[in-house]
Amino acid sequence: MSRREGSLEDPQADSSASPLPHLEAKIQQTHSLARLLTKYAEQLLQEYVQHQGDPFGLPGFSPPRLPVADLSDPAPGHAGLPVPERLRLDAAALAALPPLLDVVRRLQGELNPLALRLLGRLEDAARQVRALGAAVEAVLAALGAESRGPRPEPAAAAVAAATASAGVFPAKVLGFRVCGLYLEWVSRTEADLGQLAPGGPA
Amino acid sequence: MLNASTMALALANLNGSRQQSGDNLVCHARDGSILAGSCLYVGLPPEKPFNISCWSRNMKDLTCRWTPGTHGETFLHTNYSLKYKLRWYGQDNTCEEYHTVGPHSCHIPKDLALFTPYEIWVEATNRLGSARSDVLTLDILDVVTTDPPPDVHVSRVGGLEDQLSVRWVSPPALKDFLFQAKYQIRYRVEDSVDWKVVDDVSNQTSCRLAGLKPGTVYFVQVRCNPFGIYGSKKAGIWSEWSHPTAASTPRSERPGPGGGACEPRGGEPSSGPVRRELKQFLGWLKKHAYCSNLSFRLYDQWRAWMQKSHKTRNQVLPDKL
Repeated sequence: MSRREGSLEDPQADSSASPLPHLEAKIQQTHSLARLLTKYAEQLLQEYVQHQGDPFGLPGFSPPRLPVADLSDPAPGHAGLPVPERLRLDAAALAALPPLLDVVRRLQGELNPLALRLLGRLEDAARQVRALGAAVEAVLAALGAESRGPRPEPAAAAVAAATASAGVFPAKVLGFRVCGLYLEWVSRTEADLGQLAPGGPA
Repeated sequence: MLNASTMALALANLNGSRQQSGDNLVCHARDGSILAGSCLYVGLPPEKPFNISCWSRNMKDLTCRWTPGTHGETFLHTNYSLKYKLRWYGQDNTCEEYHTVGPHSCHIPKDLALFTPYEIWVEATNRLGSARSDVLTLDILDVVTTDPPPDVHVSRVGGLEDQLSVRWVSPPALKDFLFQAKYQIRYRVEDSVDWKVVDDVSNQTSCRLAGLKPGTVYFVQVRCNPFGIYGSKKAGIWSEWSHPTAASTPRSERPGPGGGACEPRGGEPSSGPVRRELKQFLGWLKKHAYCSNLSFRLYDQWRAWMQKSHKTRNQVLPDKL
């Protein structure tokens, strides 16, 4: 493997952070994990729509984009932010996903109790995204760019209660939204880490 | 397409829901975006379950199976609950271990009473209604099955070309209760799928298969019916067949006879009138003579002598010619 020069340097990064060999390895490892989870997230979304019935999964399917507590889509200007800031936003989103995936798993456990593969994938996704979030936090800490201030308590329980009372169709839409957000944020994390990974753009 | 003032509509001739989570009824705006949605569960109420059958393995548990209904699919999640109670007293109990031997089955692992009848039934429930089967009344002792006989050994009978000896052990779990047990043997030639069954093997743990083809590999299995356990008068339930055991008959220098067995069901086409009469004679001896075992041994010794003397005659004949 050729030595890389300047791949970790970001002109807008904190100047006190110095690249270390183990940091490069950690970034590479986290990037690989994000790439793997992106593939799993695509599979999860496909599996999810299969079990909800038409029109979920049909081309042009456009459900209401209801807001999900604690989590929104990546902002349009996300790609223009400095890498550490992007990674902070990625870490925040990854931290918000596990309780939401748990809610979706519980709802699907009632709606599709025999869809064992779907339920297994949702359970795995919550666990895997926790691991990815922790790895991104570790990279940020090594860069001296960790998140500032405490994160708010997750509002997943309130989400679950509200959705359960709203009916089956809103529960299906919530799960579709959460699986979509999961895919968006892990693929966003993969792209952002790619900026830091060896061989990525300086 | 509906207009802005439509407040209700009727949907006719719907097919059953294709997924457990129901079919989606959605309201679209003109641009195709979804304004709202709801879920429909299209299906049928459950039919009366029927054909409940139960068995107890070694008197320790009870497994029951049933048929959900004549028309099958309800298209809705339907819950089946097996209930049971002692006939004259006790409360209703619900079986908890489902799908043990197929989708409509349940297993009761313990705490079963003997000598007292149970009442058993199945309740089916879904969003559109419920149904209950007829009550089956049974005594555990009348539906006992057991394990296949272990240690099945198949061996040659000296040099006899058309016989194999089969020995086995009573299933150990019920060995103290099997004095009236029945056994069945089945055997087949190695490259055949047709089994021949010997079912007159009552209360013995050995049998001799006769009339076999010389120089042939046979697969043999044995099963047990714990008939008469604790005085039960019912037929009992056959165990599974034991694992196949293989053995081969000795080769013969002359063309061997066709198939045959020690007590084949249906008889063999190659059994001639002499063989039939001999069988009848031996059957009579079993009932009226005290030396029935001796007569079988004598018969085998006589057959071995016949084969040896037949070979000797064949050796002599060319000289005589």
